[in-house]
Amino acid sequence: MQLQVKKLTKDFNNIKAVDELSFELNQGECVALLGANGAGKTTTLRMLAGLLKPTDGTIEIEGSNGKKDVRSEIGYLPQHPVFHGWMTGMEFLVFVGKLAHLSQKEAKTRAIELLERVGISDAANMRIHKYSGGMKQRLGIAQSLIHQPRLLLMDEPVSSLDPIGRREVLTLLKELKKETTLLFSTHILNDAEEISDGLIVIDHGKIKEKGSLEALQKKYQNQKIDLHFETVEEKQIEEIEALEGIESVLATADGITCMVSDLDVARESVLNATLSHNWSLNYFTTGKTTLEDMFMEVLNQ
Amino acid sequence: MNQFKTLMNKEWLEHWRNFSWIWVPITFILIGIMDPITTYYLPVLLEEFGGFEEEIIFEIPAMSGADVLMMSLSEYSMFGVLIIILLTMGTIAAERQSGVSDLILVKPISTVYYILSKWLTKVIFFITSFILGMLFSWYYTNLLFDSISFSEWFWTILFYSLWLIFVITLVVFYNTLFNKQAVVAGVSVLTLIIMSIINGVFSNRMPWFPNNISALIADMLNEGQISTDLWIAFFVMIAIISSLLLLSFTTFSKNEK
Repeated sequence: MQLQVKKLTKDFNNIKAVDELSFELNQGECVALLGANGAGKTTTLRMLAGLLKPTDGTIEIEGSNGKKDVRSEIGYLPQHPVFHGWMTGMEFLVFVGKLAHLSQKEAKTRAIELLERVGISDAANMRIHKYSGGMKQRLGIAQSLIHQPRLLLMDEPVSSLDPIGRREVLTLLKELKKETTLLFSTHILNDAEEISDGLIVIDHGKIKEKGSLEALQKKYQNQKIDLHFETVEEKQIEEIEALEGIESVLATADGITCMVSDLDVARESVLNATLSHNWSLNYFTTGKTTLEDMFMEVLNQ
Repeated sequence: MNQFKTLMNKEWLEHWRNFSWIWVPITFILIGIMDPITTYYLPVLLEEFGGFEEEIIFEIPAMSGADVLMMSLSEYSMFGVLIIILLTMGTIAAERQSGVSDLILVKPISTVYYILSKWLTKVIFFITSFILGMLFSWYYTNLLFDSISFSEWFWTILFYSLWLIFVITLVVFYNTLFNKQAVVAGVSVLTLIIMSIINGVFSNRMPWFPNNISALIADMLNEGQISTDLWIAFFVMIAIISSLLLLSFTTFSKNEK
């Protein structure tokens, strides 16, 4: 066990941004903190990085009981990394490297290596105020790795990138997770599914679901029916929800998804209701729910 | 200690890159020579362009060297202090506001080093500029008016520097308390105004009050000796500066974005 968080809580003016969060992270694990904007992801990561003091709860990082500063084990990438624009990328990396107890020479070697790795070595000696958003994001990743931390905390590492940059950074993250323990936040399930071993879904500061990716995928593989009508009325959704065999209903712009307990019963009751109410059904499909449905459900609550 | 050096180097480089090391000393030098020169040439200028009657010109009292040096000091207490506030108001607040401090504070550094590196850089920077300016002021005062001895000049610098260091410390302290530069500047100016009012009302009872330092320095130049009140003011300011610095370390950690 490398990171143990117990009942982590943060109040901002009596509003609970993070509410009794508890989870563990094992050495070498890669876990995604998944949630909508404002769910408390950034606040959680900032507390783990030591930038915010928790109102309540504990954070234990392996090795922190000794004299050594925990921060030397942590690499942190903020959501929108900001640098001293008057420095060059190289200067900034050497600067933060030396702050993390590297010698001038070590910091320099490491900086060259990292600039290469994140793909901005051409801009190494350019002032950062001339960097594009994507280059800053890459420099942000480089600075978080400068002191070879054992725990990497990344706040939305790919959300501000264009599709190509996003692909490159995702590939980089896949490599990084082999080297360190990685906890990153995202609001995009696909990114989480692509690189992480585990998920922690949070909403309004509370954990809604957590577990390994496999276990969660299995758990949320329920039978479902997707419906699409020409027109949908408020009453209609309530009526569908009340039908036999239907557990819950989720209405989105793309149509209506019904979680079902018994597919055969539900199919019959939905089709019967459609005929008797004269609903303008466009299509009807049966299938299995995915994590996406679960996540959408969490977001819509 | 290495980390402190790294942080100092970064501050130093920043002052070079934004040309502060050029324009601030030049401004301080201009402030220093402004009064000796304008005061000396004022009668000439009035005669040339003023069109006044003869008698009026003769009524301008003759200035002593000490008077002129004190005029320079009062310019520093206006413009010098203003420049200090403007250039120090963002030293920590701007880094916090932009978020760049996140990348620094997440590294295993002590916040004491972080604050001290900022404070010490500003102190060295402004005191150097002030000494340079006063060198010029001293030179022109000696050239155009009666002479001021080195020791008088030296004590003037020493005592007045402490006032400037107090202003720097005050602004750094507010930097640790507030995250907006404008708030830091506003509260700093407000504090100095309130202190000045207190000094105006109670200067008889508290001659050692920091704001009274100029008056005490003027007495020193006129009487040729350092009064007890001046020494008390000196130690009072050292005490205030040290306590403000210590307080900054705690307020900084408590202040969250």
